[in-house]
Amino acid sequence: MSKVNKEKKVRAVPVGIGILVFVAAFIGGVVSKFAITPSWAKEYSVDWSDDLGTLKTDISYGDGEANKFDLYLPKDNSKDSYGLVVYLHAGGFTSGDKADDKKMLSWLCQKGYVACGINYTLRTDTNNASVLTQSNEIKAAVPVVIEEAKKLGYNVREMTMSGGSAGGCLAMLYAYRDAAEAPVPIKLLFEMVGPSSFYAEDWGIYGLDRDTDDSRKAAAGLFGVMGGVELTPEMIKDGSYQELMKPISAFRFVNENTCPSLLLYGTHDKVQPWNGVRHLVKALEDNGVDYKLFEATHSGHGVQNDNAVMKAYMETVDEYLDKYMPV
Amino acid sequence: MSIAAKRIIILLVIIVVGVVLGRLAVRGFMNILLGGTMFGGNFL
Repeated sequence: MSKVNKEKKVRAVPVGIGILVFVAAFIGGVVSKFAITPSWAKEYSVDWSDDLGTLKTDISYGDGEANKFDLYLPKDNSKDSYGLVVYLHAGGFTSGDKADDKKMLSWLCQKGYVACGINYTLRTDTNNASVLTQSNEIKAAVPVVIEEAKKLGYNVREMTMSGGSAGGCLAMLYAYRDAAEAPVPIKLLFEMVGPSSFYAEDWGIYGLDRDTDDSRKAAAGLFGVMGGVELTPEMIKDGSYQELMKPISAFRFVNENTCPSLLLYGTHDKVQPWNGVRHLVKALEDNGVDYKLFEATHSGHGVQNDNAVMKAYMETVDEYLDKYMPV
Repeated sequence: MSIAAKRIIILLVIIVVGVVLGRLAVRGFMNILLGGTMFGGNFL
């Protein structure tokens, strides 16, 4: 072997090691992004154990396969009455499960609330499930949840609605639209990144704001599916679609009796538009509702880049639960 | 400085750069899916 070849071989070893170390460090960086949970977040993410209370799963509230709820009952069953917190799961109205929020529900139960996760019929290619039918399922479920809690010895006197994304949308619809028919007073709403309005001009993230034939057709398709109604591009053009979208537009039901609300949104959201939040904020402002809007200014739908904002939101949820629905 | 010490320093720099790029890659991917900025907010 020549001297030059020997030198090349001697240099290749550390370079190879360097590449391997880089790849390992890169993978480590990727894993760390998912594996490391901020210390403050652990407070609101509790592992369920029987020391916390009793967990009743898959209690039926209707004929549908998905019409099931889980009830988290606190250990202390000696009180005359309890506050109920319903947390509705995310998943774009097409996926997700009540079990996804087990840690959040366990935290609420640990605080002393009766906590409940409710499943609803998810939209598929073969069913006609819509935001409207899903919200009606939640409406049908709540009285059954309260009745079931009572049977188990937990008399519910008041409730809080909450959820994330699709669950946030459904929680708002129940808290704002269906409040008058709720079996017990709704004291608080907390939700993150749930759509509350459906104006084509706000939904630029899907190109629905372009005011073209194609964009109006797309808006009629998307909003029609969500609202469970037949919409045409002409209706999008003349604005008449808004009346048909009202039943799933939570902001339109805000009034002076609306419960205090905590809202968290990412200003770069690519799934539900930040632009649409202004209608909800205006309605809450106009009606003098106690609300707080948390803006995650570096994040999108996952509020994934703003831990400080998420922390402030969760601390305020804790504070508002103590204030408006004390244990 | 010996060659061994230099190599260790280079490896440490490679590790830091690798971890930073790994975390940024995840942030970038999540931003593509959900929306968000590459910098600001959380550290990395």
